[in-house]
Amino acid sequence: MIVIISDESSGKLGVALKEAAGRAGAQVVHFAANTLHIKPCAACGSCSGKTYGRCVIRDDMQQVLPKIAGCRALVLVSAVVFGGVSHHIKKVMDRMAAVGDPRYQVSSGELVKGMSGQGMSYYMVGTGDKLGETERSAFLFLHEENRNIMNTRGKAFLLHSSPDQAVIDNIAQEIAHE
Amino acid sequence: MNKPEIMLLCASSRRKGTSAMLLERIRLVTGGEVIFLPQKGSLNEVILAMQQAAAIVISGPCYINTYPARLIELLEAASLSGGFSGQKLYGIINGGMPYVHTHRHGLACLRLFAEQNHLSWQGGFVLGGGAMLDGKPLEKHMNRKKIVPVFDLFIRHIAEGSPSPDSLYEQAQIPPGHIMTRVFAKLLTFMVVRRIKKHGHDPDAPNWYLRKKE
Repeated sequence: MIVIISDESSGKLGVALKEAAGRAGAQVVHFAANTLHIKPCAACGSCSGKTYGRCVIRDDMQQVLPKIAGCRALVLVSAVVFGGVSHHIKKVMDRMAAVGDPRYQVSSGELVKGMSGQGMSYYMVGTGDKLGETERSAFLFLHEENRNIMNTRGKAFLLHSSPDQAVIDNIAQEIAHE
Repeated sequence: MNKPEIMLLCASSRRKGTSAMLLERIRLVTGGEVIFLPQKGSLNEVILAMQQAAAIVISGPCYINTYPARLIELLEAASLSGGFSGQKLYGIINGGMPYVHTHRHGLACLRLFAEQNHLSWQGGFVLGGGAMLDGKPLEKHMNRKKIVPVFDLFIRHIAEGSPSPDSLYEQAQIPPGHIMTRVFAKLLTFMVVRRIKKHGHDPDAPNWYLRKKE
């Protein structure tokens, strides 16, 4: 299953990707993060101790986490905001620790963690029309660091805010058949 | 308009954590007051304080390679609000991993915010291995001999209103070698597993959300 989580505040790219991935034969679940009620991570540490693997904050993230825990690909879609993602998407990212593996591993000579269960692929799709080189680099760098720390595969894409259908179809194909 | 104030903004939800401790160390030199980013409700008061300050220092933890969502929300709202005119902006980000690259996106984010909103980016400080301090003084940092004097130099830059180069924090943090990395991985994992077992859980069990589905 592919899980797409998008901030649809400034476009409908998440919906378009969901439809395209569905046409490519993938089973897809889509959440519009900007319509969900998700509180910020409280850094309580419970998910790696007292309630291991479970977040204690009762909000809409409780519907999202089971899907992320079982997915083979996670796709985050957001306008590029200061070289990263919007706060709606960042709230989801911050709360993903509950489905991460808190134990440490060594990869390429450095400490990393990982995701619980079988490995998933991790994609980020950023949009923006006047992105400078610094902002583009920062977005790609964030994905690379996320991918490293989660010890997973995946790719980042940067698109205009209204990409052609062919571009959306190509990304959906790549994710669906990865 | 006269802007004499320095604003020390803590972007952590923890009032006695490492982010707050670093700001308190700065406050002892620069004066001012540490303000905590509200974790819910309106951000208008914080934005107003940012607009009225001459210099802003933001200190926060690193969550999944950059600042937490609530700070991003503040930056988005402040950007929409506008009203900035040359405020000097410094950033500090601290995280658990003993590397600079794992956390430095936070500073890139603040720099872009400053450049896009008429603030003046003055540089920042990345503190690897900061989570282990858990709010304890910087003198308890595993790399304290290098970190303490360099962080105090960073504070001097803030007090003087001068830019702080990235090389300052980069040179102070030497990542552990291969052997120590493996030792850290085993030691930290041992501590994590012990905590999980202490609470009656099996660290090798499938994730709770997958078991719930079953």
